Amino acid sequence: MAKVEVDAPPKGGFSFDLCRRNDMLSKKGVKPPSYLKTGTTIVGLIFQDGVILGADTRATEGPIVADKNCEKIHYMAPNIYCCGAGTAADTEAVTDTISSQLKLHRYHTGRESRVVTALTLLKSHLFRYQGHVSAALVLGGVDVTGPHLHTIYPHGSTDTLPFATMGSGSLAAMAVFESKYHEGLSKDEGVKLVCEAICSGIFNDLGSGSNVDICVITKGQKEYLRNHLSPNPRTYVSSKGYTFTKKTEVLLTKITPLKKLVDVIEGGDAMEE
Amino acid sequence: MTKQHQNWSPYDNNGGTCVAIAGADYCVVAADTRAVGCISPFTGAVRQKLGMLRVISHLGMFGGELSRADKSLMASSGFQADVRALQKVLAARHLIYQHQHNKQMSCPAMAQLLSNTLYYKRFFPYYAFNVLGGLDTEGKGCVFTYDAVGSYERVGYSSQGSGATLITPFLDNQLKSPSPLLLPAKDAVTPLSESEAIDLVKTCFASATERDIYTGDKLEIVVINADGIRREYMELRKD
Amino acid sequence: MDLNAPHSMGTTIIGVTYDGGVVLGADSRTSTGMYVANRASDKITQLTDNVYICRSGSAADSQIVSDYVRYFLHQHTIQLGQPATVKVAANLVRLLSYNNKNMLQTGMIVGGWDKYEGGKIYGIPLGGTILEQPFAIGGSGSSYLYGFFDQAWKEGMSKDEAEQLVVKAVSLAIARDGASGGVVRTVIINSDGVTRNFYPSDKLPLWHEELEPQNSLLDILSAASPEPMNI
Repeated sequence: MAKVEVDAPPKGGFSFDLCRRNDMLSKKGVKPPSYLKTGTTIVGLIFQDGVILGADTRATEGPIVADKNCEKIHYMAPNIYCCGAGTAADTEAVTDTISSQLKLHRYHTGRESRVVTALTLLKSHLFRYQGHVSAALVLGGVDVTGPHLHTIYPHGSTDTLPFATMGSGSLAAMAVFESKYHEGLSKDEGVKLVCEAICSGIFNDLGSGSNVDICVITKGQKEYLRNHLSPNPRTYVSSKGYTFTKKTEVLLTKITPLKKLVDVIEGGDAMEE
Repeated sequence: MTKQHQNWSPYDNNGGTCVAIAGADYCVVAADTRAVGCISPFTGAVRQKLGMLRVISHLGMFGGELSRADKSLMASSGFQADVRALQKVLAARHLIYQHQHNKQMSCPAMAQLLSNTLYYKRFFPYYAFNVLGGLDTEGKGCVFTYDAVGSYERVGYSSQGSGATLITPFLDNQLKSPSPLLLPAKDAVTPLSESEAIDLVKTCFASATERDIYTGDKLEIVVINADGIRREYMELRKD
Repeated sequence: MDLNAPHSMGTTIIGVTYDGGVVLGADSRTSTGMYVANRASDKITQLTDNVYICRSGSAADSQIVSDYVRYFLHQHTIQLGQPATVKVAANLVRLLSYNNKNMLQTGMIVGGWDKYEGGKIYGIPLGGTILEQPFAIGGSGSSYLYGFFDQAWKEGMSKDEAEQLVVKAVSLAIARDGASGGVVRTVIINSDGVTRNFYPSDKLPLWHEELEPQNSLLDILSAASPEPMNI
């Protein structure tokens, strides 16, 4: 009897058969397709009036920069934003779905979203996928209970911290925070420290680069400073410009109208159920 | 620990990009100065910048300054430890050559020497990707491009290293003749003037740095022509 | 150095009963591989007013288990109309640990006080066993503490004696176990309620070959030392 239970396919829930297949394939040396990874520096800190989030803007695909100015600070609710590192598709999808759940929850309750609500929804989602949804997040916001900052790991564990960093540049950024953060920073001091931490990631970590995005959230208002700093302009532009000569000549152009080749029946039978 | 030892490799890749362009009476050799390494020797999850390097060797006396007598320049990318070892071997072989023949080695001779040196380690190769540039015995610009085990070819221009996949198609578009069958056969060297070639090289690197994470920080350009040899630097993106 | 490694708590956690209640203790280090992801984490989590849980192993797994148990206990408290007992709380943790043993990588210590049985400590190690114990130790740092507890634990300790024992034990484990570190947190639960204490590293005793905390390593060198390299 016990044997039958083990062999029987599960009645519901998720199927991880393909994971086993992929494991088998990778043991045989098959390379999985590469994803757009935001090798990233994302940070957040709590200052005297609220929360400041920061991110770089580089997205990479292996050694190639796929996007020089992407947005890594995602909207969750009017008073909550979330920085994402990891696979771009996962961070985008997970923040979007949870953001829509939060909006429905707001319609339902008629109250402002709380940061812990977002945190719980995000961590349950990530835990369910056992780390296969590779999103590492820094969640920050100000709600009725005050300012909050959390980090969320791909496996679904969470931390509550006064300052946090994530992504491949997290070590470089944490070095700045550990040496300079103190309680009760003013807004300007906070923004400056976040900029410095992100820049430390941008200049020392290869996965991070381009510009600094910042989001300042205080009670009842927020400021999204897109490209607050652009410390990496192009260094050289040729004065004469370049031409790319056309080298394949068109010898013949022939257009075949498809309508003459097939019978098009206007207003045919309705499709069956 | 046992698992870590399984992953251990005698090689690392420190990145970097090299370009060389030959003209009628000059040769431009350029490389970026960024070196990249992983912060843990075993898994390499996070790759970080190591620092600045001088990557163009003029193959004169090892460690000496540029001299009017220099005829060849080698720009290298790949594993810096192997690159330095290779430069040292070549400089030593060149010194012996100078004692025996009382003259500098010509660029084509150096090209053959480099090939032999690389092939000598065919089954434990130098992890180095090189371009060699200089003036040949007639004073014409020449560029030789290599793989890691010594296969080489004389060309008019070449790019090697991490940014080569981005730069080569652009150089092909700008400099390659439409067809090798075109008559009369075009010379291997490029039709550009020296200043145009330097401009092209700067554009190549500025563009490669935009999209290749292993390229950046600074560009070192060395130009060799009838008047002598000179070096210049240009800033690149530092992220 | 793998930052994608699951977040895990190489930990020291302790629960000790004394005359009239329990003391729970833990260090505050959470690491991903070689990187300290959180140096001030709180591994002693509240389940109800009178029951707390010390978590070790995978952070994600232990958080999800304690979240579920807290939710079940809240329902249970409402349905019962009185506080849940420590035994019920520990049994729920055991149930989840045992039924999902293939999925979970976490060992926990449940401790608390209730009016029926007084202070109780339950250890729930990896497979989902439940062990009612006078004291329990867990996490990677616990291997350094078995001998110490065999020697130092006494029946019928006072509250202060028990807390001092816990603080001393965690600081000993921090000194020897690389995966434990940071501060020592304690929770004392008895008939009067709950007290939370926190001992930063400069309040902890220095053990064999430990150095005084320094703001800068240069301070050590600039101090009049005949052999700076011996430090």
